Amino acid sequence: MIKQRIETGFGSFARFVCRNRVSAILAVLLVTAAAASGLRNIVIDTSTESFLYPDDPVLVRYEEFRAQFGRDDVIVIAVEPGEVFASDSLVRLKALHEDLASDVPHLAAITSMVNARNTRGEGDRLVVEDLLETWPETEDELAVLRDRVLANPLYRNLLISADGRVTTVVLELARIADASRISVDSALALFDVAPQVPDEPETLSDEDTHQALTAVREIVSDHREGDFDLRIAGTPAVTDTLKMALQDDMKRSIGLAVAMIAALLFAMFRSPVAVLLPIGVVVMALLSTLGIMGHVGTSLKLPTVILPSFLLAVGVGSAVHLLAIHFRNVAAGLDRHAAIIGAVSHAGLPILLTSLTTAAGIGSFWFAEVAPIAELGGYSAIGVMLALIYTLIVLPAGLALLPQLRIPGTRHTGRASRWLDRVLAALAGWSVRNARPIAGASLVVIVMSTGLAAQLRFSHDILAWLPDDWPVHRATRSIDHDLGGSVSLEVVLDTGVENGLHDRDLLVGLETLGEDIKAATVASPVTVGAVLSVADLLKEIHRALNENRLEYHRIPDNPALIPQEFLLFENSGSDDLEDLVDTQFSVARFSMRVPWRDTLEYPPFIRDVEDRFAAAFDADAEVTVTGIMSLLSRTLDAAIRSAARSYVIAFGVITLMMMALIGRVGTGLISMIPNLAPIALTLALMEVADIPLNLFTMLVGSIAIGLAVDDTVHFMHHFHRYLDRTGSVEQSVRRTLQTSGRAMLVTSIVLSAGFFIFCLADMKNLVDFGLLTGVTILTALAADFIVAPALMALRYRDLVGNDEQSRKGGLQ
Amino acid sequence: MRKAVIATAMLLMVLPAAAYSEDKAALDIMRKVDARDDGDNRTAKLTMVLVDRNGKTRTRTLQTFLKDQGPDTRNLMFFLGPSNVRNTGFLTHDYREPERDDDQWLYLPELRKTKRIASSSKSQSFMGTDFSYADMTRRVLEEWNYRLLGEREVRGKPAWLVEATPASKTIEQRYGYEKSVLFVRKDIDMVVRAVHWVKDGGRLKYLDMVDLQRIDGVWTAIELDMRTVRNEKTEHRTVLRLEDVRYGQELDEELFTLRRLEKGI
Repeated sequence: MIKQRIETGFGSFARFVCRNRVSAILAVLLVTAAAASGLRNIVIDTSTESFLYPDDPVLVRYEEFRAQFGRDDVIVIAVEPGEVFASDSLVRLKALHEDLASDVPHLAAITSMVNARNTRGEGDRLVVEDLLETWPETEDELAVLRDRVLANPLYRNLLISADGRVTTVVLELARIADASRISVDSALALFDVAPQVPDEPETLSDEDTHQALTAVREIVSDHREGDFDLRIAGTPAVTDTLKMALQDDMKRSIGLAVAMIAALLFAMFRSPVAVLLPIGVVVMALLSTLGIMGHVGTSLKLPTVILPSFLLAVGVGSAVHLLAIHFRNVAAGLDRHAAIIGAVSHAGLPILLTSLTTAAGIGSFWFAEVAPIAELGGYSAIGVMLALIYTLIVLPAGLALLPQLRIPGTRHTGRASRWLDRVLAALAGWSVRNARPIAGASLVVIVMSTGLAAQLRFSHDILAWLPDDWPVHRATRSIDHDLGGSVSLEVVLDTGVENGLHDRDLLVGLETLGEDIKAATVASPVTVGAVLSVADLLKEIHRALNENRLEYHRIPDNPALIPQEFLLFENSGSDDLEDLVDTQFSVARFSMRVPWRDTLEYPPFIRDVEDRFAAAFDADAEVTVTGIMSLLSRTLDAAIRSAARSYVIAFGVITLMMMALIGRVGTGLISMIPNLAPIALTLALMEVADIPLNLFTMLVGSIAIGLAVDDTVHFMHHFHRYLDRTGSVEQSVRRTLQTSGRAMLVTSIVLSAGFFIFCLADMKNLVDFGLLTGVTILTALAADFIVAPALMALRYRDLVGNDEQSRKGGLQ
Repeated sequence: MRKAVIATAMLLMVLPAAAYSEDKAALDIMRKVDARDDGDNRTAKLTMVLVDRNGKTRTRTLQTFLKDQGPDTRNLMFFLGPSNVRNTGFLTHDYREPERDDDQWLYLPELRKTKRIASSSKSQSFMGTDFSYADMTRRVLEEWNYRLLGEREVRGKPAWLVEATPASKTIEQRYGYEKSVLFVRKDIDMVVRAVHWVKDGGRLKYLDMVDLQRIDGVWTAIELDMRTVRNEKTEHRTVLRLEDVRYGQELDEELFTLRRLEKGI
């Protein structure tokens, strides 16, 4: 009764649209234009910070750290000449350093052997100068330089590899873009305004970072010559490469998705209108969705790469169902308007429901703690619903307006169709007759798959997303190998009192912790390559004040000397203290350089560091762990929770929808089995193929359930309709598969092809995501063709009995 | 047509002449600034307040002794506070000769040693403040090109607005400024405000002589405020305040020696 009313409603709506077809299309175009005007505000943000919400406590702590000490995510250029300490190599290094210093925009600091701090005593003089301020001219001077550099613990792994083979140029980008040339008038006006202090986190935009990295790449390429090998790594280099890969993959996937959809639509309907209208609808839905993101100020982030092809593939599904019925109606002799109205009233409800389930599946990520995943969930759900609305308006209006040119199908198509009918009929019979073994096997598959899926590991390794042979990937691995790391973990120690860092015990504590942590991690996956704190700087000054004698490379015994040595250093002209302590000497930075690993490896290390600091300082100081590594760990942690929450929401909401649709709780629950099994199977496949759950592969389950269930909706809807009419399970299954099953087959092929497109991407995470979602959609279709009939046969086994009797009767 | 040619020719002649006269006027103003009596043999107590971006402050007090020696300047300072650096002494010999590096010594009482600090660039920070060593000494007139930008009022007093640009790249490198705009009070020939365009990092530095007093006949900046600003936001700030300023004190040359430095205050 309600269903009839809804169908009548859809029919009336279609009639209205057909009558006002021009205005309807214009209205949609206007809305699209208004929404799409936001496209000009779209920016791309692939930074490590972009994975978390701005108010996430971990990110807030990190921004506070950066406001105080500057950026910890540096660009590292590994320089490997034949021999570092040769005149020719040093000349080349200096030329590279100078070009980078003068031509890289938004640069806050650059450090290499050219300008590394060299603190030493010379008679009564304390010399704090650039390492290569006095240029080594002779072989002896080069040898002295080599000994000095290799003996300095502050240089090891930060400036030079332990074996002296590789040296570095480290570039720290500014937190905000270079100020534009300010006019005299604007500058003078500032005299009369109250001084402002920076109030919000300042971040260099992706565009500015890209500009800086482009300059770095060009300069490095100019200087790379012969045996002067140069490699670029560091978090900004990795995220910038990801950004470029993202843009390429996005362009490619959109192009391929449109081409693939067009080809399949043409193959199915043989009508240009049937190609143009659905593609127009999904493209408008996509433009509107991206435009809304621009209006709201949501930037495009790494996971958003999925959005366009997802919307294109998914959005076209509703159009396929409408067109299929429309052309059938036309073939049945209905006039154009009646065919359109008939199609909308017949298919309106199922496509509304399938759009809702799809939106619920992907929308379940709306509550994710990982910001870009939540945005992907939210905007995809909006996009799916927009595609539905546009389909319900533009398709009927367009069909009513445009000439219905139809290119007749070939005989081959007719043969294929009859062959498919036979296969589907055979499948229907086989599934119903072997209901028990099929259900049993499904159960075994679900149980075994769940067992395997439970062993799946989570992973968050953005470097691993890039192909192994890409320069930044190779550079990071080799820098990790030669210099012990390119990622940092930072600990901020707040004593809470001015000059708290003049306390000798505290400084000794920092020194001991540095040594202990390095020693303890030697054999662990996260081996600390270098440690740097204010204690190291003090040891350096103390040694320089005592004729450079090695035994004075320690914290001074006399506590009263400590503030005076710091004062001396402050007056030496170096501003390096700013990087390690605040101006009040109450807050210190303790920096650890570690290799790039799967984030999974970091939390135990971070906990160990936290425990060590807690034990060392107890109530003497407040300890905060931060740095890029803590951001990555937080992202992983948030991803695990988000995935679990999303799966529960998606399964819960969709199960309730199925119950509501079928109108029976038991059948609704049973109908979820064909959807559950493929997802469990995919998760098991991931475990077997050693594909971890990451920010992309974790989307597979919720997206797939939202899509897979569409087929089940259509199956159940038609099955029950035929069952009511015929009373025969086998007949109902056969008719369902031969009618609705064909559309299911086509939409599943469109959808899976839409995801398989990602297999051509550069980013490995996208390849995995595309492959797994595509496979899941196909296994879900298989489950709807095989498991769903078997389950219905068991559910209505009394009626199956009738079937068998009638079959036997027929045989007699 | 002929009239137009004559008018254009005259304009072409007048324009450089006008620019020249502006530069000349600016140079004359700066000559007067350079010639102003800024006192000698000065003793004073100096309070430095360093304010970081979070508004946290750090205060140091010093007793200072300053003496001109020909074109050069001798400066002796003893820390009075905070207590953990009390008696630490700082002696500088600032040479007017641009090519010659300044000499600096620091005496650490706990180490009982004087350390000579190898020359640091004039553009580097003076004791961790927003002032550079160059800001603390008088500029060499000839090292800069000047242009008169106009007139402004500073706290109700008329002032010239003069733009100063380094005469060469070396000078720009040494001072670390691309240019400065100076407010020169007309009545006392003194720079009372300045904006410096820092060469690297897109920063501006704002100097304001907040409190001026005439002491022993010498106009003296009693309170100086220097703000380092980037994108219109203050990154760091230093306030220097002088107390008990006295000129014409009997400051023996012996005072500016290492022996005296090590003796403490």
